[in-house]
Amino acid sequence: MPRLRISVRARQNAWGFAFALPAVVLFGVFAVYPILRTFYLSVHRYSLVGTPEYVGAANFRFILTDPGFAQTLRNTGFYALGTYVPVLALALVMALALNTGVPFRNVFRVINFIPVVISWAIVAIVWKILFHHQGLINQALVQLGFERIPWLQSTSAAPWAVIIPSIWKELGFYTVIFLAGLQTIPRIFYEAARIDGAGTLQAFRFITLPLLRPILFFATIIAVIEGVKVFIPQFVMTGGGPSGATKVIAVSIYETAFAFGRMGRAAAMSVLLFAIVLILTLTQNLVYGRDRS
Amino acid sequence: MPGASPRPQRPFVRRLREHPLLLVALLLQSALVLLPLIYMLSTSFKLPVEVFEVPMRWIPRELRIENYVEPLQQRPFVRWFINSTIVAVSVTFLNLVTSVLAGYSFAKFSYPGRNILFGFILATFFIPLEAFIVPLFILVRDLGWLNTYAGLIIPAGGNAFAIFFMRQNIMTLPNDLIEAARIDGASEPRIVLSVILPLMRTAISSIAIFCFMWNWNSFLYPLLVATQDAYRTLPIGLASFESAYSTNYPQLMAVSFLAMLPVLIVFFVLQRQFIEAIALQGVKG
Repeated sequence: MPRLRISVRARQNAWGFAFALPAVVLFGVFAVYPILRTFYLSVHRYSLVGTPEYVGAANFRFILTDPGFAQTLRNTGFYALGTYVPVLALALVMALALNTGVPFRNVFRVINFIPVVISWAIVAIVWKILFHHQGLINQALVQLGFERIPWLQSTSAAPWAVIIPSIWKELGFYTVIFLAGLQTIPRIFYEAARIDGAGTLQAFRFITLPLLRPILFFATIIAVIEGVKVFIPQFVMTGGGPSGATKVIAVSIYETAFAFGRMGRAAAMSVLLFAIVLILTLTQNLVYGRDRS
Repeated sequence: MPGASPRPQRPFVRRLREHPLLLVALLLQSALVLLPLIYMLSTSFKLPVEVFEVPMRWIPRELRIENYVEPLQQRPFVRWFINSTIVAVSVTFLNLVTSVLAGYSFAKFSYPGRNILFGFILATFFIPLEAFIVPLFILVRDLGWLNTYAGLIIPAGGNAFAIFFMRQNIMTLPNDLIEAARIDGASEPRIVLSVILPLMRTAISSIAIFCFMWNWNSFLYPLLVATQDAYRTLPIGLASFESAYSTNYPQLMAVSFLAMLPVLIVFFVLQRQFIEAIALQGVKG
């Protein structure tokens, strides 16, 4: 009875489609639509009232020739690299350290993870006080014979005042991801390498790194996205200041849209943020794909 | 972990002797992690004038419990806490429903357009919210959802990673299991409830944990959608308290510590699950 079989299959598939529907509708309405709408708004002038007015590439021309926005892009790059290069490197070191027989390693693993579960808002508030002119960090610097640093007031120190708490907060997340990766590498590989006379560094270079590559790749992609979309530490600790020294793309989007009411210009910045994420993700994909073959 | 061979447990003293430097380094690292939190607790019991005393007094002269009480009378912290709980629990529940159903659909059915739908959802994983927050805000405003629970909850009800993660997990289930249930006459929704759900318990608890954590800490979206005190969530309320009362550091530290406590307690109770949920993200992703 082929006809019956087809209709049974069709009914099953109808159910299958129905199961996807809640997610599809939510994503359609609250992700795909606003994403497409970002592109639409980026070529319009709109201030939350009235109707959007088509302005062509004017928004892009404005932001791309604005020295303030160029500074914002540089700040974002500086933050992303300044935070996530150390985070990824330190996380790998931490994971290797915790993957040994060191005593209390589960305790260390849990402690190292605590900052990950704390709200960014709280982290930013605490570090803001630690970086106060008379705060604990400057007290320690004075004790060690250095000058106080105006962490949140100087344009050269403020970017670091945002990066340091970020490293503190993000390290545990990547440590756990790397540690999970290390634990999937069969111990027997290392034993075989040792029998063949390989040292610790060689084992790391020829066993650990290649087998960890998919996880390193995943972690770098996540880190890049996290780095360029950063918002809370700058928003809470410095508000993007002093004189724009810590203003990053997301803070700029927020300010342009919700303080200055320029939705179109903010949408153009969003398109740029989107393009940056896309280019960086694709580049990593290419690098990873080439290395793998 | 698949493929991992069990590590032989050596006597504690020997392990200590094998890694003395590593142990010291890890102790220092832990101290650096804990220091800001201890500073927070210590400062929260002080008088404002004692905050920047040199040298820093880690144990305050007297414990000013008032620091914990007064802010709660000045600002609706309790309400913000309840809001955060309502929103995070509802969003987590919604995410479980959408991700189990969609994950099952994308893993085990083959209707036309399935791969395109999955592809679209997966693609949004790489697009940060910050890149479409402006039109999203306009949409939520046009729906009349600013300062409502619906506005805080419904748009966050789908998570690309959760759906991907469920799909990967459900794909490992043998098809025979589902076919057998069908032959027994089980309806499709019944199969979800009595075959898929019980087998996906670990994956579901992982998703529950990271959805809850992400949402509890979420900032930019509730900052825009909840502008009235009555609908603010805890992180937004705290940030607004910080900008208004930023000079009273002990009170600021006290409320921050209070806000941190529930998540910290949940974390310590479920720490193994928390860490495994994050670890699986990397391995399965």
